[in-house]
Amino acid sequence: MIKVLRMEFVFNRRQLAITMAIFSIYFGWMANRIPSPRAFLVLTSLMIGLAIPFGILGREDKFKTASLVCSLPLRRSSVVLAKYAMSWITIGLALIYAIVLTAVLPFARIPLGEILNPKSLLISLAMISLLFSFILPFTTRFGLIGIIIFLVSTQVLGILLLVLGQILGPALNPLRMVIGTAENGIRFVLDHPSTSGFLLTLAASAVVLNAVSFFITRVLYARKEM
Amino acid sequence: MSNAIEIQGLRKEYHGFTLEDVSFRVPQGYIMGLIGPNGAGKTTVIKLIMNLIRRQAGEIKVFGLDNLRYEPEVKARIGFVYDTPRYPEDLRLKEIAAAIAPFYEGWDRSRFTALMEEFELPFKATFKKLSHGMRMKFSLAVALSHNADLILMDEPTAGLDPNFRFELIEKLRSIIQNEKKSVLFSSHITTDLERIADYITFIHRGRIVFSAAKDELLETWGVVKSAGDGIRPADIPGFRGYRRTDYNLEALTSDIATARRNLGPAAVYDKATLEDIMFFISKGTGHD
Repeated sequence: MIKVLRMEFVFNRRQLAITMAIFSIYFGWMANRIPSPRAFLVLTSLMIGLAIPFGILGREDKFKTASLVCSLPLRRSSVVLAKYAMSWITIGLALIYAIVLTAVLPFARIPLGEILNPKSLLISLAMISLLFSFILPFTTRFGLIGIIIFLVSTQVLGILLLVLGQILGPALNPLRMVIGTAENGIRFVLDHPSTSGFLLTLAASAVVLNAVSFFITRVLYARKEM
Repeated sequence: MSNAIEIQGLRKEYHGFTLEDVSFRVPQGYIMGLIGPNGAGKTTVIKLIMNLIRRQAGEIKVFGLDNLRYEPEVKARIGFVYDTPRYPEDLRLKEIAAAIAPFYEGWDRSRFTALMEEFELPFKATFKKLSHGMRMKFSLAVALSHNADLILMDEPTAGLDPNFRFELIEKLRSIIQNEKKSVLFSSHITTDLERIADYITFIHRGRIVFSAAKDELLETWGVVKSAGDGIRPADIPGFRGYRRTDYNLEALTSDIATARRNLGPAAVYDKATLEDIMFFISKGTGHD
């Protein structure tokens, strides 16, 4: 797996450097604008969880390098394991980088101590896992075009829900219901007391999500035709 | 004689195309040309050997090992050249080689450097700056740098101009013949294979038409030409396909000696080229 990791790093290092350069500006801007460490973590996690897997898989899709990787002397399961490891390593580094930026930037408004606690970190990991566990299998199966179709479909669905909301009135607006549910879910997690049971559940959720996602991706990748 | 590749009863179905009951062997130390018109199933066979697509039935053994069960071991002994090389285009050639080399225990850096110099490939150039021919050469340099026992090449000369093709084939021939490697080389450009192959397997519409030694093929197959309606195709021994113009009949036979003996001076006899064989079987009339 180390060899695949090394190869993925060589293949993606420029892309990762560009992503980090853009993130530096964005994280700096967010650290200056957002006083809430939780909101900062949620937004940072969303950005990282989306950008890193998209970046790595996008390049594979663009250059069709999956057929190169699968012609090398290794099993496909090792390739999938390396993709997850690579994504998590870069996500971890990006998260550390974001936190370091909030610490060193003189104009940052976020108290570092509030980010560096188990609950905040576990919440970000769980959020990234949620995105990540969906993106990797989906992109493996359908490629970047699949993701674009998915995003366009969600936009079309959003427009339909908006229209439906206009027809049904504010009380029965389905878009508000969806957004409200997501908002309540995030708020529930953010406001929940940091009991050890809660922290364990968060950690377990992240692990389970990743494990399920990994096994689905492994099956999909084994069946993928190059 | 031991075999580099043994394929038995291979089947792969796509919408509108089926590779059916494909069986052939590549003897160790020889060059096998896999010929057939576009869409015949050549790339499908090569992808199945490399496990890039899933087979629905059949068995593939490479040096006696099942290609799925012993996938890493099998692939470690194969040098693979794609019809269109797939590398990250923004990387330099030396970076690509550095990423690939650790996968092969037998990677020979000095050999790679020598091939890069021989093929006049600049280490610092990015892959996107290379022409199609240069890309094929780079792919070949990578495939030949890890001491592979079997070289698999899918249409390596397609899209190259004749000079470039000639140069590539000659370099390939000298490298392969000096080292006694086994080669499976798919192409629809039959002249390339006439120069280099020891054995020919002809695939058409997803089925193997024949798999035989090239010299034997070129010796025994022939084209029978006759003016007028004096000879019916069905009367030609070993008949495999024909075309008729307003005044002539041209027919392919797999037994030119018997055809000559039976038909005598009623016809003219030429040895068949691989191009003749491919033409009459894929485009001619009367081939089942």
